[in-house]
Amino acid sequence: MAEAILVPQVGQDLTEATVVELHVKVGDKVAKGDLVAVVESEKASFEVEAFAEGFVINLPYSVGDVATVLEPLMHLGAEGETVAPTASASASEPATSSVVDVQSSVSELKTNSKKSSMAVDGPLRASPAARKRVFEAGQMLSQFRGSGPLGAIVLRDVEAQLSTVAAQTAGAQSVPGLKNLKSGHGDPIIFIHGFGSDLSSWRPTVGQLGLENPMYALDLPGHGSCWDLKAKSFDELVDYVAQTISPLGGSLHLVGHSLGAAVAVALSERGSIDIRSMSLLSPAGMGAGINAQFIDGFLGAKSEAALKTWMQSLVRDPDDMAPVLVRATLKARSEADLVGSQQELARGLFENGTQLFSIVNGLRRFNGAASVVIGTDDAIVQSSDVIARTPPHAALYKLSGIGHLPQIECPSLVNTIVARTVKSAS
Amino acid sequence: MYREALREAIDEEMARNDLVFIIGEGIAERGGSYKVTEGLLDKYGSLRVRDTPIAEAGMIGVGVGAAIAGARPIVEILYVDFAMLGMDMIVNQAAKFRLMTGGDGRVPFVMRTQGGTGGGVAAQHSQSLEALFYHIPGLKVVMPSTPADAKGLLKYAMRQDDPVMFLEHKHLYMTKGMVPDGEHIIEFGKGDIKRSGTDVTLIAWSNMIPRSLEAAAELAEQGISVEVIDPRTLVPLDREMILQSVSKTKRAVIVQEANRRGGIASDIASIIQEEAFWDLDAPVEIVAGLDIPVPFNLTLEAASVPQKPDIVAAVKRCIHQDNYSAAAE
Repeated sequence: MAEAILVPQVGQDLTEATVVELHVKVGDKVAKGDLVAVVESEKASFEVEAFAEGFVINLPYSVGDVATVLEPLMHLGAEGETVAPTASASASEPATSSVVDVQSSVSELKTNSKKSSMAVDGPLRASPAARKRVFEAGQMLSQFRGSGPLGAIVLRDVEAQLSTVAAQTAGAQSVPGLKNLKSGHGDPIIFIHGFGSDLSSWRPTVGQLGLENPMYALDLPGHGSCWDLKAKSFDELVDYVAQTISPLGGSLHLVGHSLGAAVAVALSERGSIDIRSMSLLSPAGMGAGINAQFIDGFLGAKSEAALKTWMQSLVRDPDDMAPVLVRATLKARSEADLVGSQQELARGLFENGTQLFSIVNGLRRFNGAASVVIGTDDAIVQSSDVIARTPPHAALYKLSGIGHLPQIECPSLVNTIVARTVKSAS
Repeated sequence: MYREALREAIDEEMARNDLVFIIGEGIAERGGSYKVTEGLLDKYGSLRVRDTPIAEAGMIGVGVGAAIAGARPIVEILYVDFAMLGMDMIVNQAAKFRLMTGGDGRVPFVMRTQGGTGGGVAAQHSQSLEALFYHIPGLKVVMPSTPADAKGLLKYAMRQDDPVMFLEHKHLYMTKGMVPDGEHIIEFGKGDIKRSGTDVTLIAWSNMIPRSLEAAAELAEQGISVEVIDPRTLVPLDREMILQSVSKTKRAVIVQEANRRGGIASDIASIIQEEAFWDLDAPVEIVAGLDIPVPFNLTLEAASVPQKPDIVAAVKRCIHQDNYSAAAE
């Protein structure tokens, strides 16, 4: 079966990375640990290794291309195997959607996608007015496509593209603390990550759900960009999330993983937010036990090898834990005192392997659509507790042979479950 | 009519101030080649409305000298081309006198003349020489495009203490337009928006104004909104009006009948790029006459100066329309 090597997360909350070296081409055989590529962001460069033996069967990028973080960089598979095109292919050509009718007084003039052929090689050309407008909008010139002389970006290109973006996000307000991962229409979906992770972990999920809803994610206190927000208890986490999402108003769908799933249920208990559906992946708070060894080991790991060992315990098949995720975690920890914040938070959440919060009653009282996804081989929370305590009105998905990260271990199935849950309550 | 408006201004100012007098070739007995001064001889007598020999150097010298002595002369020069004979008096005397007398001297001298193409009168009777005067510090340069502007600006000119080059256009004398009666005065340095628009700023003066307005009307039918600005006086220049308009439309086209090289359009373009660079969405376009002596042949003469299609094409370049068209094919 074809397996993707993902573009590593090369820095906190960066969405793109440039492919600067490629050491393989389609058809090459690689061994586990081989250096296959180097990608670079404005912050750092990363070596990308093959996580398993196989043949490169799909490699959509060339050196110099810009790739989307946590999307497939290449696929490995058996010799001669082909990979079905996925939605991620569209990610490599985001600019085409920007070509829209011009919003200028020259109403009968239409832009045309062919105009990119007018472009000539050379430096990025843009009129002064276009540059000024791009600067004022806080955007990068390189995000725009020019229709002027010699492919220059002129004001109408900027205005058209900005108004498209504005129209797309019209229903999706900008809320501090909330990252708009995908614009759209309908009730927003909020993603809440688990302990030790951050919002960027949802990026692969967001594009694959096949839903039109706007999608947001947030960093919990002590995580990601909110590493310096101290939370000392579960209630403080819930307070923070309730406060952060309250500006959205209206109805919401929640998707939570582990600790994030518990926060989602606790939010529903507050009653202040109309929660249409909850998709709870490997939820915490369903029983007393938590893998304390994991928490300590995960937070205490200093080297890549040590962290890798602990992170592999999140999944049943160690190969599912892509080395880039381990390195990204390590990198994020080197940029901010995530460990200190998370250790402090852990003390307020867990006590010697006991979870100090429970969502069992909350889930029982929730009367919206709820799905609970639990891997039978989850090494972090006890799957038996989750299975036993999921109330009858919630859909329970027992995934055999799956660990604590079903969204990574069997993404398509989890995506289907989440999409179905959201749709059932729309 | 333009020529009647000019006559009204002279008439009113002569009635208002006894120091005003006018001299020129054939302006008294014949009423002037363009009939601007018709009837003034009967009204004000031969002392104040005087015919002169064909001797421009002498006429201009008389005018500058009389102005320095305290009178308010208007010297009509039949063609601006002939004003070259009096350039020393204009450039070295009139323009400098106030400064070189430590501010004591005044030269309230108005030279009325006309230029431009349009009659097949060949290279020595068709020039647009405003840039020569524009270049000289100390001279005011006025180029009215409508009858109302002609009256208001001439009345204001005749009340100034500094030399004014009042440049009319041979094609405009018969143009019609409403002219306010009596005290209609237009200050120098105040431009006029001849047509409001949003997409492109078109700057023109004198006879290029009617032509630009025709182009703007044609462009409006194609959905392109052109703002036509007439500075009316080139010195002083209403920079503010130009810059405000350009910052609104982001694009500028300057139309001048004079040949391109060393022209006023180039100077205005440099002002725009310097002051409004970050507002520009396209290079400033200049539509100007060719750098050749104006041909005698009427077809060639027309080809040597901006015509409506030239202006329309420049505006379209400015909004990058060609790129659209090319891309759509």
